[in-house]
Amino acid sequence: MGPIIPNGLIPIEWDSIIAIFIGICFGFVLESSGFSSSRKLAGVFYGYDFAVLKVFFTAAVVSVIGIYYMDYLGYLDIRQLYVHPTFLWGAIIGGVIMGVGFVAGGFCPGTSLCAVAIGKLDAWVYVLGIMVGVLLFSEFFTFIEPIYDGYFLGNITLMDSFDWNPYWVIFIFSIIAVVAFALADVVRKRVKKVFY
Amino acid sequence: MMVKKKLARFLSFRYVLLALILLILAGGLVMLPKVEKQEGIHAEQLLNKAISTERYVSTDELSDKIISQDPSFILVDVRDPQSFNEYSLPNAVNIPLRNLLDEEYEAYINQTQYDVIFYSNDNFYADQAWVLGNRLGYQNLRVLKGGINEWYNSIINPTVPNEQLAAEDFELYSTRKAASMFFGVMYPEQNRVEEPVIEKPAARKVVPVKKKKKRPVEGGC
Repeated sequence: MGPIIPNGLIPIEWDSIIAIFIGICFGFVLESSGFSSSRKLAGVFYGYDFAVLKVFFTAAVVSVIGIYYMDYLGYLDIRQLYVHPTFLWGAIIGGVIMGVGFVAGGFCPGTSLCAVAIGKLDAWVYVLGIMVGVLLFSEFFTFIEPIYDGYFLGNITLMDSFDWNPYWVIFIFSIIAVVAFALADVVRKRVKKVFY
Repeated sequence: MMVKKKLARFLSFRYVLLALILLILAGGLVMLPKVEKQEGIHAEQLLNKAISTERYVSTDELSDKIISQDPSFILVDVRDPQSFNEYSLPNAVNIPLRNLLDEEYEAYINQTQYDVIFYSNDNFYADQAWVLGNRLGYQNLRVLKGGINEWYNSIINPTVPNEQLAAEDFELYSTRKAASMFFGVMYPEQNRVEEPVIEKPAARKVVPVKKKKKRPVEGGC
């Protein structure tokens, strides 16, 4: 039956409209749960606020469990879902840059736009930095291109490359999530409270 | 007051409860009895394709495609190599039915750029190849209706319509005849040599040339 758009239950022309709607909802939730504050986001790295970790870990676990139940019951064909292609070194280097930017600036690209919307000055600087980064990337693209296009591994998943059983992976992943939540709470109680 | 206190005590465990629900659901996935999932196409889709008119290509359509040098299709002969060597269609690829799913031939049939037209002597084995390919989700597979036999009967050796038949039949016949000429069939009327008209050289006309009489020299200066 599903996914809905590739199987024609919703015409493909709607996907941008649905994307805009989901994007607005996402932005609203980010802002209303305080994610447009760089202090809250940076809190993960300093140990006084683990909301980001909890939110994104919970989202991943809930959706993966839901998707696999729907697949099992035949509401969704998991093989039709989009798997983002892996460019190994591009992903590693990009991840490092993104991580450094996350710690240093206290935003990820999505939350920075939320913060711009509510008028935070640091977010303006952050988005300006993104633009400069985009410019540098485009200008030096010929040098970066071998990494950008190279080390292509295809649309792989952990289950494909290591031949793991997805159900066990999900189960272990959920245990890791719960343990991480508990640990995060322990750490948060030990660290001095920061008010922001 | 008592209810509120109980509720508060209950709610103080809410994160533990939520975590437990998560773990139970995830564990449930592991515990679920394994179901063999059907690979490839769904039964309804296969049925839809099987009864669709798109499935067959007639010999007339095929000859038209070949003659107009349509680049959009691949001909696949699913008979054994011996029959293939004896006679086959122009530019066909020989993939015997039992080797159909071999890795070396996969590039021919598992692609989306070209239509693949299967044929055998009749469409019987070609249909089997069609079903096998479609079960694996391959795209744009077609079958030559009637196979080589129909090809022979309609294109190579078309039956001459008798006088009672409609004008379309005669048109069809002449199209097929022209197609067969394209594929190398000779017809007696093609061979007939028209008698050359030999122009006889016209009899020579004798034009008498009158000789001018010599005038007598008349005086002079």
